[in-house]
Amino acid sequence: MNLKVQNAPRVLVVEDDPHLAAGVVENLRAEGYEVSSARDGEEAHRWLRGAPCDLIVLDVMLPGLDGFGLCQMLRSEGNNTPVLFLTARGDPADRVRGLEAGGDDYLAKPFHLEEFLLRVRAILRRWEWYRAASATQATAVLRFGGNEVDFRAFHAQTWNGESQELTEKEAMILKVLAEHSGEIVSREDLLERVWGYDVFPSTRTVDNFILRLRKRFEKDPANPRHFLTVWGVGYRFLSEGEP
Amino acid sequence: MKATRVFQLTALALVLVSLVQVGWWLFDQRAYTIEKVDAARRAYNEQAAAAQALLDSGTSAAQVEALLPAIVVREGHAALVPEIETRLRTEERRRINQYAWEGAFFLFALALCIAVIAGALRAERRVREEQESFLALVSHQFKTPLASLQLSLETLALRAPEPAQARKLIDRMLADLARMELMVTQILESARLERGRVELRSEPIELAGAVQRVVSQLEERARAQRIAISSEIAPGLKVLSDPLALDVVVRNILENALSAVSGGGSIALAAQSGNGEVELAVRDSGVGFEPKDGARLFEKFTRLNSAGGHYGTGLGLFIVRRLMELARGRVSAHSDGIGRGARFVLTWPAAARESPP
Repeated sequence: MNLKVQNAPRVLVVEDDPHLAAGVVENLRAEGYEVSSARDGEEAHRWLRGAPCDLIVLDVMLPGLDGFGLCQMLRSEGNNTPVLFLTARGDPADRVRGLEAGGDDYLAKPFHLEEFLLRVRAILRRWEWYRAASATQATAVLRFGGNEVDFRAFHAQTWNGESQELTEKEAMILKVLAEHSGEIVSREDLLERVWGYDVFPSTRTVDNFILRLRKRFEKDPANPRHFLTVWGVGYRFLSEGEP
Repeated sequence: MKATRVFQLTALALVLVSLVQVGWWLFDQRAYTIEKVDAARRAYNEQAAAAQALLDSGTSAAQVEALLPAIVVREGHAALVPEIETRLRTEERRRINQYAWEGAFFLFALALCIAVIAGALRAERRVREEQESFLALVSHQFKTPLASLQLSLETLALRAPEPAQARKLIDRMLADLARMELMVTQILESARLERGRVELRSEPIELAGAVQRVVSQLEERARAQRIAISSEIAPGLKVLSDPLALDVVVRNILENALSAVSGGGSIALAAQSGNGEVELAVRDSGVGFEPKDGARLFEKFTRLNSAGGHYGTGLGLFIVRRLMELARGRVSAHSDGIGRGARFVLTWPAAARESPP
């Protein structure tokens, strides 16, 4: 990777084990990222208040405030910085918990260095795309069926006047669908664009997120007019609404 | 979980069947007793009728009474001796009571058996759960040094670093290996301690000398970390303990203190005796901990803070606690808060002071 130092993505590594932290930090620096590290959740939280970053590599088992707790706290504060969880507990239930807490990806210890670097790159790429796709005044705001979504603020004003905060994943899915308005987008495409392939065991997760979007934005979620299911393939978004 | 359910249902069925069985048995025995008593009463009534017939046929009252001892004759009428009816009634009640007690005792014995078996099953399940959570914790503890080891190796392979950087990675890997080896040793040790498979001796040990031996072994490390160790233990102060256990306990506490003070500071040891006990206090100027966490420190796999950057396995203080308990002593930890040092207090039963010859 050839990254200019000024534009290098900033990564915060939160890991209490000094060896592992040093190894991760050194490798990320060698890849050209600007890296800082914190030893526990509180320190990370303090650090993030002063300096925003592009990615948090977050250990789950931390003394005091643990990784899940920190991630939830950040999300509730409206901080949508992507999070890559590192954890010694690799069972599926834990993985789901991490993603529910608002994590973007999940890597079980011990992990392969190259896989780790690939995932870091993939998360940053997805966010770069999202930011680029919401950069102009025209692409930052999406209006459909009386709803208004601000992609940069992760905020929405719905048809019934309600004000809603979107999670990063909801915003990303909406972004992908809006970019392909009127076209069919497969579940696999959504998974790859928003999560990267292998994070979830099934594509059903996508279905759950679509249900959430319908609940937020459809006047009658049971008879959707904007988020349409294309049986056996995926979804189609219509900004005008189905006639 | 499933086995417990099966046991509960079986026990319930057994109790229900037994209740029905005992109920039926009681009912049956009562009916039988009443029937027998009635039969006896009928026989006595027949005797009374026979006696009346004899009287009517002219036999004297005295003769009738001699012939039939259950009969009395009053004013020419034969009747049963009054005690007989009372005796029949008493016998009937006695039998019914006896059956009721027997049935109740049988049910009580059955319930007791079920309770004992249920208790045993519950204890077994608790042990199994503890083992499972222990295994989960152990494997979790191993994954961090393993991850660090793998990361260092893959870094060497991927980046072909300069010799100095490579040396740093190799040292890191060696430290990770040493950490895992220490963990294996401590896990085996704590498992042994937990099963109580340790035969500890109990003999008088001179505390000052025993502590000095451990301190001298750690002095070099303390110097390298710019830590001053001072010790104020009156000579002749003796505790009752196992010499090896005492060595392990003091070493663990001191190593713990060295890690906590890693950036330079002091460790002070002081001993005092009283109430048949000897107390060794180890005070350090290190990272300390939240006062409420004092007890949690001695639980398995507790690592409160990593501010000192040291590698605990989370088993050292657990082993200390177990060894102290086995030596009929105790250990406690105190701190005024993070960054304000800590004080560990080891207490042993005192051995009688050496009497002058």
